[in-house]
Amino acid sequence: MSGDEVNPAAVAQPVEDVHGDGRWLSQHTRFVQECKDAEPDVLFVGDSMIQLMQQYEVWRDLFSPLHALNFGIGGDTTCNVLWRLQNGELDNIRPKVVVLWVGTNNHEHSAEQVAGGILTIAELLTSRLPKAKVVVLGLLPRGERPNPLREKNAAVNSFLRSWLPRLNHAQFLDTGYRNLSKPLSDLLLQILEDTPEERRASLI
Amino acid sequence: MSAEDPNPAATPTPCQDTQGDGRWMSLHNRFVSDSKDKEPDVLFVGDSLIQLMHQFGIWRQLFSPLHALNFGVGGDATQHVLWRLTNGELDNISPKVVVLWVGTNNHGHTPEQICSGIMAIVQVIKNKLPHARTLILGLLPRGKSPNPLRERNAKVNKLVQEAVSSLPHASFLNVDPGFVHSSGAISHQDMYDYLHLTPQGYQAVCEPLHAHLKSMLEKPAEN
Repeated sequence: MSGDEVNPAAVAQPVEDVHGDGRWLSQHTRFVQECKDAEPDVLFVGDSMIQLMQQYEVWRDLFSPLHALNFGIGGDTTCNVLWRLQNGELDNIRPKVVVLWVGTNNHEHSAEQVAGGILTIAELLTSRLPKAKVVVLGLLPRGERPNPLREKNAAVNSFLRSWLPRLNHAQFLDTGYRNLSKPLSDLLLQILEDTPEERRASLI
Repeated sequence: MSAEDPNPAATPTPCQDTQGDGRWMSLHNRFVSDSKDKEPDVLFVGDSLIQLMHQFGIWRQLFSPLHALNFGVGGDATQHVLWRLTNGELDNISPKVVVLWVGTNNHGHTPEQICSGIMAIVQVIKNKLPHARTLILGLLPRGKSPNPLRERNAKVNKLVQEAVSSLPHASFLNVDPGFVHSSGAISHQDMYDYLHLTPQGYQAVCEPLHAHLKSMLEKPAEN
């Protein structure tokens, strides 16, 4: 995506504590701490779609066994995820795969801007973690019936489908509504098996 | 507190569709439709803390057997629940108990306003369902460390408890099992974002709630 104008969806921005209980920063701080303690093979990053995965059995059944960390925060936009990744959530870890799912909360931005924001995050990931693969998940449809947000999310996916192949090590996975966990976990297993097992430093 | 100033927390207000996918109204319409079709003995009403109960095993385990319906909507404040109940969600049903859990999303309102909002909901339920009892759940603490919203929620609970003490058709239940540790911290094992409950958090809240509900359902209704 070219142009001299700054894409607002690609500008890192923390979430302001408007309510007064500092929960967003508390979650970010916890994730930064987890980076110090854990050695994940897979890192999940994004909004509530990622965050809530961890509250259901599917996490324990399919993703925990892959040594996965979950850095999802409900309500996050591409700007918020970008800020978190630039401010500690990638420090001290060397995951083999990063799963990125964000964009549905970018209400102020156009589809093209949202896709640009996602691309910027993918570029950050590949530059900070040169050996990692990045899997970008397609945005799901939303709302009970057809509405402008469904069209917008589909347009974002369309941009991603054509832009992501230009990045080395990044791929797009859009399984649609009904069938995400199994294809995703199959893809992750495949990527992890392809990666040579690295000797880890002794765990002390 | 002036009697002339309208209380925004007690003024029925639908949620505006700012995002463009009409989800709030879709949820409301589905609940109105459920009211036409179903015959619940227990109706759960409130915000995301009610809504998300339905997504975990705890619902099928503890509350489905009681013939319960879930009319929770994430993000709702008292004025939104008030609007929903005034606009069809209580029509055509006659539950014995209404479980009400709302207030934590009333940002910008004072504890007094929030309490009045809750009491306005209790009144609407009494008007529409004269034989039902309302069980108001205490607001939980929130945030990882001590903060003004914890104080606000505690104050709301105190005011509501006082307000219902003289009412035969409503009662208050504190469902906080002690989420705040001695350090002042809430664990992410109980609230994954320091507001919403994990399955473990729900277990701790719902078991006593379930026991209390069962004892309410076993007693014959007064009046």
